[in-house]
Amino acid sequence: MNYQLRPNQKDIIAYQRGRMGVSAVPGSGKTWTLSYLAAEIIANGKLKDNQEILIVTLVNSAVDNFYQRISQFLDQRGLLPQMGFRVRTLHGLAHDIVRERPDLVGLSDSFQILDERETDFILQEVCQAWLNSHPEAVEAYLDLDQDESYLAWIRRDKLPMLLQETTKAFIRQSKDYRQSSEKILAQIGRLPVPLPLAEICLDVYTDYQRALAYRGSVDFDDLTRLALDALEWDNHLLERLQQRWPYILEDEAQDSSRLQEKILEKLTGNDGNWVRVGDPNQAIYETFTTASPKYLLNFLNKPDVIRQELPDSGRSTPSIIRLANYLIAWTRTEHPVEAVRDALNPPFIEAVDEDGQGANPPDQPEQIHLVLNKYNPDEEVQAIAQSLARWLPDHPDETVAVLTPRNLRGFDLVDELHRKNIPVVESLLRSSTSTRISANTINILLNYLSDPQSSNKLAHLFKETHPIKGVDPPTRQRLEHVAELIRKCRQIEEYISPTPVRDWLQNLAQNGEDAQTVEALEVFRRQVRRWQMGILLPIDQLVLTVGQDVFSEPGELALSHKLAILLRQSSNLHPQWRLPELSGELRQIAQNERRFIGFSQDDIGFDPDKYKGQVVVSTIHKAKGLEWDRVYLISANNYDFPSGIEGDQYIGEKRFVRDHLNLPAEALNQLEISLSTDEYHWYQEGAASQAARLDYARERLRLFFVGITRARKELVVSWNSGRFGECQPCLPLLALSSYWDRTRGIEE
Amino acid sequence: MKLTPDQLHIIEISPGEKIFLEGAAGCGKTTVGVEWLLFLMAQGVPASSILLLVPQRTMAKPYLEAMQIPGVSAGGFVAAMTMGGMARRMVDLFWPLVADQAGFARPDLPPTFLTLETAQYYMAQIVTPLLSQGLLDSVVIDPNRLFSQIIDNLNKAAVVGFPYQEIGERLKGAWNGEPEQAHIYEDAQQCANHFRSFCLEHNLLDFSLQMEVFTRRLWHLPPCRDFLNHTYRHLLAENIEEDTPVAHDLLREWMPEFESALLIYDTDGGYRRFLGADPQSAYSLKEQCTSQACFTNSFVKTMPIEALENDLSEILNPESHKPAHRSENIPKNQSDPRTALAHGFFRYYPEMLDWIAGQVQELVQYGLPPGEIVILAPFLSDALRFSIMHRLEDLHIPCISQRPSRSLREEPVTQCLLTLAYLAHPEWKDSYPLSKFDVAYALMQAIGGMDLIRSQLLSEIVFHPRKNVPQLTSFSIINPAMQERITLQLGDKYETLRLWLEAYQQEPPQELDHFICRLFGEVLSQPEFGFHTNMKSGEVTANLIESIQKFRWVAGDQLVQAGKSTGLEYLEMVRQGVIAAQYLRSWETDINDAVLISPAYTYLISNRPIEVQFWLDIGSRGWFERLYQPLTHPYVLSRHWETGRPWTDAEEISASQDTLARLTQGLLRRCRQKVYLGLSILGEQGYEQHGPLLSAFQRLLQQWQTEGEM
Repeated sequence: MNYQLRPNQKDIIAYQRGRMGVSAVPGSGKTWTLSYLAAEIIANGKLKDNQEILIVTLVNSAVDNFYQRISQFLDQRGLLPQMGFRVRTLHGLAHDIVRERPDLVGLSDSFQILDERETDFILQEVCQAWLNSHPEAVEAYLDLDQDESYLAWIRRDKLPMLLQETTKAFIRQSKDYRQSSEKILAQIGRLPVPLPLAEICLDVYTDYQRALAYRGSVDFDDLTRLALDALEWDNHLLERLQQRWPYILEDEAQDSSRLQEKILEKLTGNDGNWVRVGDPNQAIYETFTTASPKYLLNFLNKPDVIRQELPDSGRSTPSIIRLANYLIAWTRTEHPVEAVRDALNPPFIEAVDEDGQGANPPDQPEQIHLVLNKYNPDEEVQAIAQSLARWLPDHPDETVAVLTPRNLRGFDLVDELHRKNIPVVESLLRSSTSTRISANTINILLNYLSDPQSSNKLAHLFKETHPIKGVDPPTRQRLEHVAELIRKCRQIEEYISPTPVRDWLQNLAQNGEDAQTVEALEVFRRQVRRWQMGILLPIDQLVLTVGQDVFSEPGELALSHKLAILLRQSSNLHPQWRLPELSGELRQIAQNERRFIGFSQDDIGFDPDKYKGQVVVSTIHKAKGLEWDRVYLISANNYDFPSGIEGDQYIGEKRFVRDHLNLPAEALNQLEISLSTDEYHWYQEGAASQAARLDYARERLRLFFVGITRARKELVVSWNSGRFGECQPCLPLLALSSYWDRTRGIEE
Repeated sequence: MKLTPDQLHIIEISPGEKIFLEGAAGCGKTTVGVEWLLFLMAQGVPASSILLLVPQRTMAKPYLEAMQIPGVSAGGFVAAMTMGGMARRMVDLFWPLVADQAGFARPDLPPTFLTLETAQYYMAQIVTPLLSQGLLDSVVIDPNRLFSQIIDNLNKAAVVGFPYQEIGERLKGAWNGEPEQAHIYEDAQQCANHFRSFCLEHNLLDFSLQMEVFTRRLWHLPPCRDFLNHTYRHLLAENIEEDTPVAHDLLREWMPEFESALLIYDTDGGYRRFLGADPQSAYSLKEQCTSQACFTNSFVKTMPIEALENDLSEILNPESHKPAHRSENIPKNQSDPRTALAHGFFRYYPEMLDWIAGQVQELVQYGLPPGEIVILAPFLSDALRFSIMHRLEDLHIPCISQRPSRSLREEPVTQCLLTLAYLAHPEWKDSYPLSKFDVAYALMQAIGGMDLIRSQLLSEIVFHPRKNVPQLTSFSIINPAMQERITLQLGDKYETLRLWLEAYQQEPPQELDHFICRLFGEVLSQPEFGFHTNMKSGEVTANLIESIQKFRWVAGDQLVQAGKSTGLEYLEMVRQGVIAAQYLRSWETDINDAVLISPAYTYLISNRPIEVQFWLDIGSRGWFERLYQPLTHPYVLSRHWETGRPWTDAEEISASQDTLARLTQGLLRRCRQKVYLGLSILGEQGYEQHGPLLSAFQRLLQQWQTEGEM
């Protein structure tokens, strides 16, 4: 190994056994260090036959990252690269555990895991049915001081969504507490005061679970809960798994949930080997999920835990590091709302020692732009696009990203960049590109088959299956010509299924069309006929058939196999669906309303360095773990980054709900009350909504921190006045700006 | 056939002997069985006095083939049957004697025997209302599998020999999970009770009731015993380890009555355990025999395969591993297990399938007959079967799949027939909204030469669901330009079909099976129509008609009394997947010399040694695990499980390890030359695969690597 370990990394690699907690900073090489540690443990022969190191991380792309790094380290040591370790997300681990003994938790071996889109669909149906049969029940929460037509619109369009959002949070939290609706109902029955919101949610919870059971399915929250159940109920299973995984390394532990912690606690036992690495300042998945940085923070403070830090980061210029550190310091000491001062914590980021590896980029304080100009949303997008248009030509070998707090803002910017012909990469806003393209190809094919007489759709299909990108100009010209001929064919049956007297292609040949064009049309006709015959097959077999014809890359073929199985499941769940509906389902995949594990390189991990000279547009959430030379952080106003002060607005408080109540937060509070054994713990309406504001403000501070620490050399932060023109720059931006004006990056 | 002295000895053993013959797969036991049978007949024993008892009808195949030789089968036919078949025959024959005491409400009326499908239908009728009352609400499973598990429990009680009322208690006693969950077994018991009461009330006999009435009642009645003793004088029981404990009990009592008997026992078998097979109780029959023999030499395995079996067994089952006997004189290179193993490891599933197809092609090109190749997977999903067959067909390699046919609702021919049935019965309008796609696909199949585009054009014009009543209008009222596009020839055929359907509507309603018979005979099979000379369509139509008939015979009267249409009820059941009518017929009719694609267990039970095996998807946990079903349990509901003893993970793992060891051993003992392992790191669903069979092979390869380096 040529790589020279930094002292802090050496301390971590020296780990032998027991519990260790590592608090890391952005860019400190957590994944690298953890991978190195895994390889060390394997190479030192600490594992027996059939034992593995279990690595638990947050997202699928990280799974592959770990696989590749550890395999590389093992390979360098002359060991079999794929052996001795297993990398899983929490859901992947839960799936592994439940698959060991599905019968133990009341499942059959063919149980299905429904993804979020399908469960949202079920919940939506259940909520709608519930509202239909209880039209008055939610009225008490509406702001009735509105005109009737507005209220009618709210009841029709907004209320079902709000109910769905509220019950979703309630059900998720109940499952985190491992409480069935029956158990909670029994608890509520014992309370002296009614908890109406909890009762509504319980009704929906019951119906939702019944709908899942009828489909022989579980959702991801069930899967996690059942995994822990299985470990608790069968000691032999637990012992077996403890024996299989003698070391557990947990990455991104700041986003651990209660159940994740409990599962790993069980698997490591009292004296097991458990290393948790995370950056509590980057905990950005907490709102209405069950994740929280408190689990890592509490763990770090336990007496039996060896506490380590990875504070040095070679990622950013000293200016950016000072800015990020100032944000931590300001939050802890000067934030006007004292309750949120614990949102960010030390360690502060330290630049890498000059003698060490990977020294930081040279300082460029002039490339920090904290823009306080008041833009409306359109103006902000325009300003960013213009700035990029100026910057890109001078920096063809550098990387740049625009980070937004929400998808929608990203799409607006993407549209503008397209208009200005600025090369843009939007795959982080959507599902990965090749997943989308592959799904889209099959979708176009199904779409044609559901309307086979359409020459437009057939021409579209030809173009899709004969891409012109990268082909030589004559071929390109011919392909375009063939597509145009198909599009103009008015009676497409005379092309695809000609009769002796009506043969469009023969006529074309006789009328002097060149032989290569006729040949291309002939080959395509044969394919289309095959696909048309395939229409009688079950959907999975149809997709497999066409997938074999239109794809050649192994990843694409594997994806079409997976799509075939997914569509078959959908078709089993909805037997009345025909091609248009199934094609619609695929469209959802293609448009990323539905994410699922893909098979392409893009899904496996996003490498910003592959997109030099192009603009990557991403949400801040999706940008976690990534870095660019220049970063724009936009929309830094008090709607997207509220701070808990007067005048801030909150996405969770709907305008049509009375008294600024945040209904999901209130419902969760009612759930807490119903499960509490403390007789002085009673429900006070509005308290939870207030608390939710603070939680949200904390998370948004961390999101801001994540946003600015994505930048290596240059950083631009801007804000806009929002849809109604009421927004202000967010407090962190003002604080950083004032600091920067004072110091120009020179440490105070 | 040339027999070894040991084999000859058994056949020529003096008449009147009762022989217990044991041995591993591939050591010539069935050959002895066939010759024993032929020898008996050659001695003048009437074939009709010989009972050939098999656990599953396919296992009788070598015997039935042998008896097809002209002149062999004098004096009637050998009765080849399963214990279930015998039970049904006896109950049918002696019904008046037993109906009343067995508790049937109408002993004066004949019995109705339920098939698996019709039992499933009644179970659905009985249990669905209970489910909506909240019974079994914590079980996550689709209803059709739930019904089949309750049926399975009843069957287990019948073949293991305990009262069906104890099912719930036995399962509950073994439950090791959350105590609150245990109530599901009480619920399952309640469902079983309801079903049984319903059967008794309506003279319906599912498999469990047939077995119970036969083994617990008829068998003890002198007329029945006399009949059996008188009819069958000689017994050949093949693969007794795959049969059930009550079958063994019965044989134990029956054995003294036979003049001669040959009981064949596979020492490594027991693959049908999930259906109640009990090798232990089978082995206890050994004591009933006057003579015992044991074969040890394999006629199948080569030395490298034997060495591979040995090495793998050492890893999978180190405690009970016994090194196979290897002759000292054989040079090491002749018994090198590495020559018997090839592998292809890939990231993606389709890459693995491509590799397998390529390897098969190469083998065939080098002269190996396709019939000497089997491709095995732990489960054979439709997508997998389709993908692999598609690849082989593209390479012009014949292949067959040893798996039941597609279920009815997926068979395009069935869908065509059922769509036409809906169109012919406007009174069914409320049950199912036909779409223009259904009609277009039906016309595409029904009318010869009809392509997708024209059938879609046609159905968009002629199909009008008016007031929900699906109707087809005449071709003649379409505008001439469109008529020309569709072509007049196709239009004529469409008119013939439409007029036939219209005429049918004017007649008094007929049964659905009669309707389909007529539709097939009068229209679809005629020249210029889609099913003409299409054997596959004819076969599926015949299957469908048979399935409807069986359903009608069983449920028709009751449905008519309830004012329901039998045909419509059948269609609904097909749509819901309750009736799948999966037929084994397609693969039972052998295509000679074709690559066989099969689930591993199905292949094992078919008892067919072969040159080359492909083990596909070795990372899958399916190689190791039993089918997990929350409402039933093959081990707990066996004779060897003490009621009240919890089934823990330790038992599960020990059973699974044993299963994997047996499975791989069984497969290797049926392989002559070579095993090809296929692995894709990402499985069919995209999940990473880490199953124990993969780990075992990784260790084996590592071990060989180390040995090679030393």
